[in-house]
Amino acid sequence: MTLGPSRHRSAAVLFAWALAMALCVGVIVRTPFTADLSAFLPAKPDPRQQVLIEQLQSGVAARTLLIGIDGGTPASRADASRRLADALRQSGQFEQVHNGVGDGFELVGTWLFENRYALSPAVAPARFTAEGLRDAIGETLSLLGTPAGNAIKPLLERDPTGEAMRIAEGLIPAQAPKVEDGVWVARQGGRAVLLAGVRAPGADLDGQSAALDAVRSAFTGLSAQNQNPGLTLKMSGAPLFAVESRAQIETEVKQLAIAGTLLMSGLLWLAFASLPALLVALLPVLTGVLVGVAAVGLGFGQVHGITLGFGTTLIGEAVDYAIYYLIQAQPQPQASAGPAKRGWQHWLATSWPTVRLGLLTSIAGFTALAFSGFPGLAQLGVFSTAGLIGAALATRYVLPVLLPDGAQGRGLRRVLGRAASRLVGALPRWRRSLIALGFVAAAGLVWHAPRLWSTDLASLSPITPEALALDASLRADLTASEGGTLVIVQGADVQAALEAAEAVGARLDTLVNAGELAGYNSVARWLPSTATQRARLASLPDAATLEAALAQASAGGPLKAERLAPFVAAVQAARSRAPVTIDDLRGSAAAPLVEALLLKRPNGGWAALLPLQPAPGKRENHHAQIAAALQGVPGVQVLDIKPELDRLYARYLAEAQAQTALGALAVVLLMAGWLRSWRRLLAVCQPLVLAVLLTVALLALAGVQLSILHLVGLLLVVAVGSNYALFFDMLVHGRQLDGSAEESDTLASLALANLTTVLSFGLIALSDIPALSAIGRVVAPGALLALLLAAAFAPRRRGAGPAGAVRGV
Amino acid sequence: MGLLLAAPRLHAQTAPFDLPALAALLSTRKSAEARFVEERFVAGLDQPLRSSGTLSFSAPSRFVRTTLEPRPEVMAVEGNDVTLQRGGRTRRMSLDAVPEATALVEAIRGTLTGDMAALRRHYQPRVEGSAARWRLLLTPNSQRIGTQVKQLELEGSGADLRHVEVLLTGGDRSVMSIEPSDRPAPTRPVGK
Repeated sequence: MTLGPSRHRSAAVLFAWALAMALCVGVIVRTPFTADLSAFLPAKPDPRQQVLIEQLQSGVAARTLLIGIDGGTPASRADASRRLADALRQSGQFEQVHNGVGDGFELVGTWLFENRYALSPAVAPARFTAEGLRDAIGETLSLLGTPAGNAIKPLLERDPTGEAMRIAEGLIPAQAPKVEDGVWVARQGGRAVLLAGVRAPGADLDGQSAALDAVRSAFTGLSAQNQNPGLTLKMSGAPLFAVESRAQIETEVKQLAIAGTLLMSGLLWLAFASLPALLVALLPVLTGVLVGVAAVGLGFGQVHGITLGFGTTLIGEAVDYAIYYLIQAQPQPQASAGPAKRGWQHWLATSWPTVRLGLLTSIAGFTALAFSGFPGLAQLGVFSTAGLIGAALATRYVLPVLLPDGAQGRGLRRVLGRAASRLVGALPRWRRSLIALGFVAAAGLVWHAPRLWSTDLASLSPITPEALALDASLRADLTASEGGTLVIVQGADVQAALEAAEAVGARLDTLVNAGELAGYNSVARWLPSTATQRARLASLPDAATLEAALAQASAGGPLKAERLAPFVAAVQAARSRAPVTIDDLRGSAAAPLVEALLLKRPNGGWAALLPLQPAPGKRENHHAQIAAALQGVPGVQVLDIKPELDRLYARYLAEAQAQTALGALAVVLLMAGWLRSWRRLLAVCQPLVLAVLLTVALLALAGVQLSILHLVGLLLVVAVGSNYALFFDMLVHGRQLDGSAEESDTLASLALANLTTVLSFGLIALSDIPALSAIGRVVAPGALLALLLAAAFAPRRRGAGPAGAVRGV
Repeated sequence: MGLLLAAPRLHAQTAPFDLPALAALLSTRKSAEARFVEERFVAGLDQPLRSSGTLSFSAPSRFVRTTLEPRPEVMAVEGNDVTLQRGGRTRRMSLDAVPEATALVEAIRGTLTGDMAALRRHYQPRVEGSAARWRLLLTPNSQRIGTQVKQLELEGSGADLRHVEVLLTGGDRSVMSIEPSDRPAPTRPVGK
């Protein structure tokens, strides 16, 4: 094989390429791959939303598993629920498992009872006067003689004032799942439900995965013993989504890569009928993928699985470079002046500038994404930019060394070229109709504008609608809504946060008593601030004072003071107890409950979360009312989680729209600078604008609401489409659109490049990962339209044919 | 009033007074107000616990027990929502999250509304006596409730509930006497 560039230079190029690839592989093997959901959460939320995002990423929400047991009979489901809960508690993989049995309080009950005088909000000096004692004992007695009284009767002599009951009151939620046969069940029937908090941190997907496996194997174990088969396990929650989407991304990315490579290889084989040509054509793709992944690894310290999924989209564009080279780099016979040119020299002189410009426009588009607030999109921007540069450089420097005269095989190239030529001849007749169609599409889109964009963060989610529906149904059964209202208070240290939570709690109590709020949860019920605990313990009287007050309070009552010696002893013991601290709780049964409501912030401060339970029928104007009630508490925020997340998404959508617009503007400016002619610029931009308009109109007609990912797809359409339009520009102004063999070759290369793009994105459109299929569904039709429109609007050389008549549209 | 129409049919019956007959009799009443006096006999206490107040119900699902003496307390049940007011504090709960409370509320609410399906869900009902003076014995179905509540005895005359006695398994019991406070005049003849 004759070498193209000089022997030394060739060797140097190949060596440099091999070295670069080795370096990339070196980086890649050191890069951790993630597939958690964080890529779909903004990296830079505003301070208001920061705590919320931290919570979603690593808080209790990220570790909570919702479990349903369907089928069978109510008794068999209840039995399975109890045994599953026992098995999960024993597995050690979960820090808490709730299924309604004992309300999960039996483990913490002893601890609460021991510390009742520090924890009960009723403890105050007045409570231990004769009057206060009579009142408190009377209230406790009023529960006796009922089933509820059975629970407190054994505690009566140690706790006649009912402090344990008072603490429990605050801990029993206003909304709880229905209990039947002693376990939580769905209100509409047919399902037992459980809630399990995974011990492994939210980011530890292997740990989350092990916990999911523990649930599955425990359940399988039950079915094996159970006489009554037919029970099925349903699971949902962030751990499942994270683990499943990782698995799905892993398998789909593999499948897409294999299918894409096979499809591409088949096409290239048809086109070139040459194995070397085929292998060489795949080389820029391989280079691009390796460079792209390595660049993301270096830039972000990790590569998200979904980025690899997008990587298969890169095949579609990177293989174009190889196709352009292999078809267009044909050796030129000696011209009248100057020596004969090798194919690669000819290609570098005629086509490379256009390919380079196409590369620059693509980069301009993708660079905008690199600044996105969504890590997933930023990674995609970096990946595409680096990958395309890598692929283009490999085409420019390595391909001339390997195949200096392009691909020699003829294959179907001629056929493709002829078909493309005929199309190019015919399409311009449709210009007027196409422009009219463009106007119709634009008008339709203006009318449709309010419904064009999805305003829901879930549109970015990699989770399927079916899984989201199951999640919603389990959440309703468990009354574990994610979309409620949350009050957040922050403090410089634990005590400041706890005191703020107490201040908020006092004001919320007023709303609860007024019936405006059903209830709320607060860490201060488990762990009051040290100041509050000290004040409570200080209000406990000495033995003599208490005995005197008791004698007075119980005179003539149904409960004799003599029986209450254990109470006096308990109060005396409490007086010398130290307040409970967060360190005392570490490792205890109450720890997970406290950790769910009290967070250490990355900035060193602490935040207390108070989830609110709305009163029935009081949803209207809820937020404003609560914000008004909490006015003046320092560092307090009221967040409506669902609207807040949607606002967050709206902000990022606006940001992405601006970035995409800037990217598109950069593309146009680049082309303007290169073409230096308004007429040529217009000719190049016309098909692009039309392609975008028609693609969006098609999606709208199909009932698709556009998300950020569709926007990314449109950017890809502009990036790929600009290459087509520029080639047509080159053909016209390089005076090649003349029916020559070279024109036929260029058209064949465009058609082939387009075919590979449409097919590879068509493949992605079939993906089960919504993020990938969204992009595929935009780019596959968009790229096809871009090529056809570029052909339709290609300016013809003066007098070159009948289409010339419609020039100047 | 529905009661007037129902009365002749009841007289025409020669069959023994049974559960469907009691249900038909009770379901004619759509709302009621009453005063109650309750005594609870609790082992270990030197004297019974006395309380009094008012009861109010309106079909299909609202039931309010307002205790006035010795300390003010309100328990209002509407559908599945329970609101408790004690000692100046208000709490809300889901009724069906607490099966023992569900069973007790349904015993009284189901009887007042004549909702025999609700009663049968939780109890084995047995009826004695006549329309003029009936006795409804409720034994819990569920073993779980059975460990807490042994039996309920409800007595009444016509569409009026007059007496509720709850026997707990530990031997404690509560006895409630009910006096309708807004008795409409036409209900009298039913008992005759």
